[in-house]
Amino acid sequence: MIPTSLPYRRVSVLLVIMGMSALAMFIQLIRVQFGPYAPVFSTWIEAAEDNEDEIEPVRGLIYDRDGDLLATNVPMYYLEVEVFQLTQASRKQIAAVLARTLALPYEDLNNQLNTDWGSLGQYRIRLTRDVDGGERWPITIDQVAADVLKSFLLDPDAPDLSGLKPVPAPKREYPASALAGHVLGFVNQEGKGYFGIEGFYDNWLGGKAITVERGYIPPEARIQPDTPAGVNLVLTLDLDIQQMTDDILRKAIEDSGSEAGQIIVMDPRNGEILAMAILPSLDPNNYEPWLEELGVDAEDLETEEDELVINPAVGGQYEPGSTFKILTMAAAIDAGVIEPEDQFIDRGLIEVGGVKIRNWNGGAWGPQTMVGCIQHSLNVCLAYVASEKLGIAPFYEYLTAFGMGRVTGIDLSGEVSGQMRTPRNPEWTEADLGTNSFGQGISVTPVQLMAAVGAVANEGVMVQPHIVRAVVGPEGAYWPKPTTLGRPISAESAKTITEMLVQSIEGETRYAHVNGYEIAGKTGTAQIPTENGYDDRWTIASFIGWGPVADPRFLVLVRLDKPESSPWGSVVAAPVFRDVVERLVAMLEIPPDSVREQIAAGD
Amino acid sequence: MNLASNDSSSADAGKNVKKRRKQAFKLTPWRSQLRITSRTVLTAIVLLIIGGLYLAVNARVARSGRSVLIMQSERAELQRQIAELTATLAELTTPERMLARALELGFRPAELGDIEYIVVAGYVPPDPFVAPKPPNSTTEHDGGLSPAYTETLGDWISRLTSPGRDGRQ
Repeated sequence: MIPTSLPYRRVSVLLVIMGMSALAMFIQLIRVQFGPYAPVFSTWIEAAEDNEDEIEPVRGLIYDRDGDLLATNVPMYYLEVEVFQLTQASRKQIAAVLARTLALPYEDLNNQLNTDWGSLGQYRIRLTRDVDGGERWPITIDQVAADVLKSFLLDPDAPDLSGLKPVPAPKREYPASALAGHVLGFVNQEGKGYFGIEGFYDNWLGGKAITVERGYIPPEARIQPDTPAGVNLVLTLDLDIQQMTDDILRKAIEDSGSEAGQIIVMDPRNGEILAMAILPSLDPNNYEPWLEELGVDAEDLETEEDELVINPAVGGQYEPGSTFKILTMAAAIDAGVIEPEDQFIDRGLIEVGGVKIRNWNGGAWGPQTMVGCIQHSLNVCLAYVASEKLGIAPFYEYLTAFGMGRVTGIDLSGEVSGQMRTPRNPEWTEADLGTNSFGQGISVTPVQLMAAVGAVANEGVMVQPHIVRAVVGPEGAYWPKPTTLGRPISAESAKTITEMLVQSIEGETRYAHVNGYEIAGKTGTAQIPTENGYDDRWTIASFIGWGPVADPRFLVLVRLDKPESSPWGSVVAAPVFRDVVERLVAMLEIPPDSVREQIAAGD
Repeated sequence: MNLASNDSSSADAGKNVKKRRKQAFKLTPWRSQLRITSRTVLTAIVLLIIGGLYLAVNARVARSGRSVLIMQSERAELQRQIAELTATLAELTTPERMLARALELGFRPAELGDIEYIVVAGYVPPDPFVAPKPPNSTTEHDGGLSPAYTETLGDWISRLTSPGRDGRQ
């Protein structure tokens, strides 16, 4: 017999509580299994079958040589909606808030929020907007807007944005905007780098994605190995010098009415590019309009990348004109076939390979030394030197040694090799020898010319131009050493031609003269070839020079395309060179020659 | 003989005990029920203890997992804030802006004649800039905090019964 004192009532209460708890758990289980989130779980389970996820690393940063940031990553946010979290109120208020803050059409947002996505098998959607051409792109917002929306989501008194979720994604940002845009290139929305540094070092900057096991539900969350980020790059560029050259170039283009222009500054001793100003500029933060101007669809970029001339300093070949005479004269001096004081009687005309060659002004300059030939930039004299003193084979051997017809290997995307016909080429004629001697009938890129003339400045040693100074990865920093491309001429020959060019500047090219500093350089006025021969209206005016001659620290190329004020390099490009050098010596802290001599003498 | 007699008497005694016990259980069946109940309860308690321990461990793992997910999310958020601030700082210190600010303050670019060079004995130029090592990318599992996992039964009931935050601006 069961004792009557047992607390039946308490047991009953306990049973009821336990029963209700069991019922609640049962309902929760049923809800999870068959409730509104059941499809979400199913989708996730299907998606997670391989239980692996690919994590893209953070793209590496780009700095100038002093640590100024040139390219970084900032967060942007996609707007995603958890469909089952939406309420009638939040549907309206999400549409209203976004329409007002982002200036988007309310109806479009409202339609997206009221679509029955569940029946389409979608439980989390990304809000989109209309763009030109009928395409729809995801709506993106910046950090400030995302912070506002997040505060709304947390504030019970704010508009009801239940279901809305700003989802972060990295976006490439270039703090200096268009400054050095051609050098940097850009990164598209898929995170792929194009052109310039971004294109050339895309794999290094982008890093390597790793595969990790998914840990979506809390008990499975585990400390995953972090993805190693892409490497950081330190460039040889000096942002202050870049800004200075950019400002001077902008003014020069305005003053001369030029169509485009470039100023490149390189250290001839090691090939470091200190500045590469190019106008019209490219703003990598906003590259789409620039691509539109080129007639390229952003989606076709990958297929058309190789055909585009994005950076004219490495991809824009041109006939260099008289700046090329430096190489012809250097070759002849190094071959020992002429001396600076050798006499030449200029009659204003010479025939090479059946083609009559005249001077730039069509005149005859009479008796001239080789220095005079360079000083007055006499085509006839240089054609004479190449054809009658140097000869065909040595001439082209020297040009090949100077790197003509092949890429320099600079670490920028899109470099081309220029064009040089040699006697081995079936299209070559002897007339090419005459025209090539003064920079016609041969095309080079600005960087190619810098490398070749850099050899003259650097005691005959040609150094590869480069942009990256250091590569910093998780293991530490790597400093690439300068690469020597060859020694086309001897140190003595380099010194001789340099002295000739110094005299040239102190003579006729006085616009390039810089007080207190011995500078060597040469003007260039090149005609522009067309399908119907040379354009008789436009020229490319240029100047290339270096200094201080005793210890060269900089090599500067100024190029102005189609100047209206004057076609001559000596008039429009040489003063720009002087302006650059006057600022450059201050920025690089190069004392005047007299001071340096005093310091060297120990005074 | 005596020994055999003793054996048979002890066997008889055992049978008698069993018989009496059987008779006792027949006379008081609640004794048997109590025994079964106590064994069942004991088993249930053991199972409950094991189940409780299992649940406690799992709950702790889940809590730790949530903490990991939340901390990963916080770290990613902090990295985003750092990136944003770094970019803002870089924008504010571009040469163009610095030059404009210097001009506003009455400075002008130095010209050749303005500069005097002096020799400083023992001057050591600064080391070249070395970029910081790239930080590792944070693995952020956004889905771990999905409402599909965090919504409780109570949340669900209140969501079903609540008319929403209608009427507010």
